[in-house]
Amino acid sequence: MAYSEKLIDHYENPRNIGSLDKNSEDVGTGLVGAPACGDVMKLQIRVGADGLIEDAKFKTFGCGSAIASSSLVTEWVKGKTIDEAESIKNTDIARHLALPPVKIHCSVLAEDAIKAAIADYRAKTARKDETAE
Amino acid sequence: MDHFARLGLPAALDLELAQLDRAYFARQRLWHPDRFVGRPAEERARASIEAAALNDAYRTLKDPVDRAVYLATLKGVELPGDGKTIDDPDLLMEAMEAREALHEATTVDEVEVLAGRARKDVEAALGGLASLLLQDDKPAIRKTLLRLRYLDKFAEEARARRMNIQRPRP
Repeated sequence: MAYSEKLIDHYENPRNIGSLDKNSEDVGTGLVGAPACGDVMKLQIRVGADGLIEDAKFKTFGCGSAIASSSLVTEWVKGKTIDEAESIKNTDIARHLALPPVKIHCSVLAEDAIKAAIADYRAKTARKDETAE
Repeated sequence: MDHFARLGLPAALDLELAQLDRAYFARQRLWHPDRFVGRPAEERARASIEAAALNDAYRTLKDPVDRAVYLATLKGVELPGDGKTIDDPDLLMEAMEAREALHEATTVDEVEVLAGRARKDVEAALGGLASLLLQDDKPAIRKTLLRLRYLDKFAEEARARRMNIQRPRP
């Protein structure tokens, strides 16, 4: 199977591997898995006071397409608002990396991971607002 | 016909491999293509369908985790298929930490310790599954099976890691 150059590049030189402090108020963490293939993906965002995502990190144990999909998403979300980041679709990821049909589910995992990270961040902010009242 | 019935075995979690082997090879002989040489086309087609179904049943029931998943499916437990994601934090955190530890292991001994621990976890999970099936506790069965899937994947990755350490790439 021939993989695209972009996919191979993200797989061989993944961007933003690592972790952010999951207990920090301004960090949202998404942890998702695809049990059918045994993949597990953690994606984290740090949101600045201006509401923009200033940093993103990921850790993925899975196939090359899953690693490339999460790497790409961390690159895409930086500098975006969380609303913009939330609108990323797995089809955008799959198209950009030219994922073969059997690997489309890897891009689904990445979309779910960023959505979960945003949901976690929002839940934290909501809790913070409650305590402030 | 389900895989257990096809092999004439009781639909249960515990299965002796010798018993499975006997059941499979006896039936496989019956449907062996050599016995159908010179027979009408529809009989040969039937034999090859039966032989393929037997292989499928044997492969699924031979592996303890695959067998458990299959049995639970028969009992109406649904597991996420291809392309479906889960977000169970306990389960995924455990899987993530195990894979990280494996990734950081640099010697075969370290890999062995991790793999040994995972094997014990598999045994314990399979042990617990028997009573969950009896109670028909579907959410707990589902969670145990998902955990087993990840433990299974871990075992596969541990084998690969061990090979990598033993035969470093040039």
